Amino acid sequence: MDFLNNYIYYIGAFGLFFIGLYTMLIKKNLIKIIIGLTLLDSGIYLFFVAVGYLHKGTAPIISGHSPASEKMVDPVPQALILTAIVIGVSILALALSLAVKLYQHYHTLNIKNIKELKW
Amino acid sequence: MVNPVLLIAVPLASAFLIPIAGLLSKKFEKIIPIAAMLFNFIISLMLVFPVLEKPVQVYIGGFSPPFCINLFAGPVAIFFSILISLVGLLISIYAASYIKKGATEKYHILYLLLLTGATGVVLTGDIFNLFVFFEILCISSYALVAYTNDKAGIEAAVKYLIQGALGSSLILLGIGFLYGKYGTLNMAHIAASINTITAASDFIPLVLLITGFGIEAAIFPLNAWLPDAHSSAPSTISAILSAIAIEVGLYAVLRIIFTLFGASSMLLFFTFLGLTTLLIGEMCAFTQTNIKRMLAYSSIGQIGLILFAFAMGTAHSITGGFFQLLSHTLGKALLFLSAGYMIYRSGSMHISSLQGQAQKMPYTAFAFTIGAFSLVGLPPFIGFPGKFMIIKAAMFKYEMLFTILAILVLTATIIEGVYFFKVVQALYFKGDDTATPKQRAPLIVLIPLFLFVLLIIGIGIYPKYIIKILNTTGKEFINRFDYIRGIIR
Repeated sequence: MDFLNNYIYYIGAFGLFFIGLYTMLIKKNLIKIIIGLTLLDSGIYLFFVAVGYLHKGTAPIISGHSPASEKMVDPVPQALILTAIVIGVSILALALSLAVKLYQHYHTLNIKNIKELKW
Repeated sequence: MVNPVLLIAVPLASAFLIPIAGLLSKKFEKIIPIAAMLFNFIISLMLVFPVLEKPVQVYIGGFSPPFCINLFAGPVAIFFSILISLVGLLISIYAASYIKKGATEKYHILYLLLLTGATGVVLTGDIFNLFVFFEILCISSYALVAYTNDKAGIEAAVKYLIQGALGSSLILLGIGFLYGKYGTLNMAHIAASINTITAASDFIPLVLLITGFGIEAAIFPLNAWLPDAHSSAPSTISAILSAIAIEVGLYAVLRIIFTLFGASSMLLFFTFLGLTTLLIGEMCAFTQTNIKRMLAYSSIGQIGLILFAFAMGTAHSITGGFFQLLSHTLGKALLFLSAGYMIYRSGSMHISSLQGQAQKMPYTAFAFTIGAFSLVGLPPFIGFPGKFMIIKAAMFKYEMLFTILAILVLTATIIEGVYFFKVVQALYFKGDDTATPKQRAPLIVLIPLFLFVLLIIGIGIYPKYIIKILNTTGKEFINRFDYIRGIIR
């Protein structure tokens, strides 16, 4: 159980990452590729939070009541991930709006059939 | 002393000033980018001499590093900042008459954001901050590629976005690994802990970061998006992507290799990677019939050459790399801009449609010719000293291997010469000689072209001063410990 306690978040993070990568590489539908991108990003967010996580740690607030020796969770990755989530959302929004435009031009989202620029 | 923060703050603020000022008059959207870039250019020039003596640092929030986000305006950062603001300024003057259709206001906002991101990437000393600025650069370039809103533009933007977003995710993962191991995000602080790469826990983030930034820099196996994106975007955007965006990606790659990891044991690998990129790029460019696609593939080749120069790792080759970077930025921006107006008039990107354009648009065709000759590396132009220094640096390695590599570089130059001369021949010596009415480009388009031509010839004839400054610039990449000591005291 100790192994699971320590590594379960990493397993989850890389599970999500590789599911996302698989979806991006294998699927032919653009929407599914974008979903894969989101999954992959979620895996990375989870990885970041797992890096700073301590089992049974507390919130990193120093107050008079809590002794200084108490274990605290690292707050920096969480702050970073808030930024990264915002960036991820803006990429997602741009990707989906481009998908709409692509559908208006080609009447399909299957990337096998979109080859105007293929040489 | 000027504060380098202004280099980021002013374009960012003026980008969002555009829609507000647009309520008053439509003219502001064209003037604000020019004013912001002129301001950046002047500030960067004012910083040159202080920075050559001692790098200027800014601690955001007032804490000292590694606890704050720091801006490190060293010689490399100022070199790139001058290049970005100069090219950005000239292209925004050109765009004032070139961009007429569509959402022009949004074009100018995104254009300024792209330049803000590029300046931020080169100035920052914090790896997560670098990622954030890199995303500003990338997201605005995805949107700008789709600006034309036609079939090709949207398709190219989708391809670019999917590959670029995957690349940025890999960068983020690499940063996660680094933070997990070293518990800091300051690049100098991380670099202080890494001497040589032995452990897999250092190697994995190196590979992730190089792959992620390599996608934006279009290094060989990762360059699939570039020809589509550069050929489908409006010509001003092709110029800024080719002249600034991929160079900034390359800067990030070099910063990772030289400063962050000090990966001197892997430099030979990057030499080969650069050479492969060069050969593939030039050979693909040779077979193109679409002029903008040809220029895009030529950019891939040039990036390969620059990477090759830097990866040789000697003081001479790094100076040569910086010079070649300068020459490619000026030359390729000029080529895309002059080709852009000829395409605009003839209505087709096919090389055969450019036949006889020299009679119709003599100045634009002349500017294109100068740019082409400079990129090939003919003597009076800026391209010659760059290529000369790279070949010389390769020969001064006194190794059989590098002599062979130098021969391959020269072979690639010959291929480059052939396809550029083909276009120049079409411009001047083909097509009907009947006196066609002259359709000169407007003056506001000719001014930036003329300034580019002036710079290319001027620096080409007197490269000495620039080389002197670039020698100091190159030291920042070679003396990694000076960089670290400069930040962490």
